[in-house]
Amino acid sequence: MRAEEVLFLFPEESRDRWREAAKLAKRLQEIRLRAGMPLSILVDNREYFLDMQGRIVDRPEEADRPSPEELEHMLGHLCRYSIYAFADEIRQGFLTVRGGHRVGLAGQVILDGEGRIKNMKYIRYLNIRIAHQIRGAADALMPFLFEEGRVVSTLLISPPGGGKTTMLRDLIRQVSDGTAYGPGVNVSVVDERSEIAGSYLGVSQNDVGIRTDVLDGCPKVEGMMRLIRSMAPRVLAVDEVGSLADAQAMQMAGGCGCKLLATIHGGSLEEVRQKNYMRYVMEQRLFERYVMMDRRQGTCRIVEIYDREGKPCTRR
Amino acid sequence: MYKAVGFLCILAGCAGWGHSLAGQEKERVRHLKVLSCLLGQIRGEISYGKHTMPEICLLLKEWNDTCYSECFGRIYKRTSEESGTDFPKVWEEELWKCMEPFPLREDEKRTVAELAKSLRFREESGQAGRVAQAEAFLEGRYRQSAEACENKSKMLHSVSILTGLLLAILLL
Repeated sequence: MRAEEVLFLFPEESRDRWREAAKLAKRLQEIRLRAGMPLSILVDNREYFLDMQGRIVDRPEEADRPSPEELEHMLGHLCRYSIYAFADEIRQGFLTVRGGHRVGLAGQVILDGEGRIKNMKYIRYLNIRIAHQIRGAADALMPFLFEEGRVVSTLLISPPGGGKTTMLRDLIRQVSDGTAYGPGVNVSVVDERSEIAGSYLGVSQNDVGIRTDVLDGCPKVEGMMRLIRSMAPRVLAVDEVGSLADAQAMQMAGGCGCKLLATIHGGSLEEVRQKNYMRYVMEQRLFERYVMMDRRQGTCRIVEIYDREGKPCTRR
Repeated sequence: MYKAVGFLCILAGCAGWGHSLAGQEKERVRHLKVLSCLLGQIRGEISYGKHTMPEICLLLKEWNDTCYSECFGRIYKRTSEESGTDFPKVWEEELWKCMEPFPLREDEKRTVAELAKSLRFREESGQAGRVAQAEAFLEGRYRQSAEACENKSKMLHSVSILTGLLLAILLL
């Protein structure tokens, strides 16, 4: 992660203000811009503010406050002055920009006649989540992920912010490239929210491996079947399984002989089992490994790895 | 002998002047056609391709072999290579510069050069609609001019030759 990458997130005329913060690119986690509110950044899980000269300060009273016009201009820049091209993303409340960084958006939503979100206006809150690919994040998991040189279907479980996506990304990369535990295989990724590959203009911004195909921005259910038909993957990866339709699509993919790498929100294996849409999937033993993760003192870690029976795994 | 040569020179000069005027008008019609086609392509890429404006500029550069291709190439280069320069500003600058020598009217140039200022729509249908307005304006001008051009061209040729004759008779 280079300082320039952070600077390029901002329009040319406001880059001077961000130079100091950009120097912390490797440790920078979030940048928050709220109209009329102090500019804040999150570095190593600690919040700081930026003053008018771009100096990093501790007190919000000293911080600069962006105007609504600045945020509109910022949004235009992030959308490459083509907001219409990002209408779907804006509707969902986030954009993925060059470098795979996610920009969360909030403002006033516009509803259609049936009460669904049609678009968003007066976008006055931006939360830029800086993407950091952690190569080797899945190293500790790899010995458990193969049986006789073949990948096993694995479900990563953690509460939000527990590092599931980071782990999944590295799993995909290693499975695709091949490791000491097994040769590289074709992996297909349904990247519904552009979080895994961080695709920008169709190009993956994160290293997801040499044998990986990415279907970006596609709903999981449609995407999984489409990829199975079109790309013949050995492994299919999806992030954040969250509905009965997702679970059914995974079952169907499993039935086609694909191995699955997936993530789900949850505090424990039992909690996941209690989700009505996951009960059947788990009873059918679609997954052969369950990996419990959480975040302690700012670090994501693997808490436990379970086998298909739900028993803790021993190192192979 | 000298009078005959002088007569021919004056006649040729006036005919050339008439031809040049008619040519300018034809050139204007050609530019209007090209611009209206380019706007049609932009509209299509917004509606169906959902490309961003810098990407559309790159496509226009690659697909077309017109006097505008280089201009679109420069716009793409200036706005896409992480420069962060304001797209409407670059579009306006480059297009004014490109269209400066062309025999287009001021309002026709302005329609194209200031188009990017209105690229703030949040939906592709709205954005494409805005481009379609500019396209319709140029298309209308093109039709008017194309019809008038033929007649005007003949008239300019006749007038210039007659002027030449008159001048030659007066002078010689």
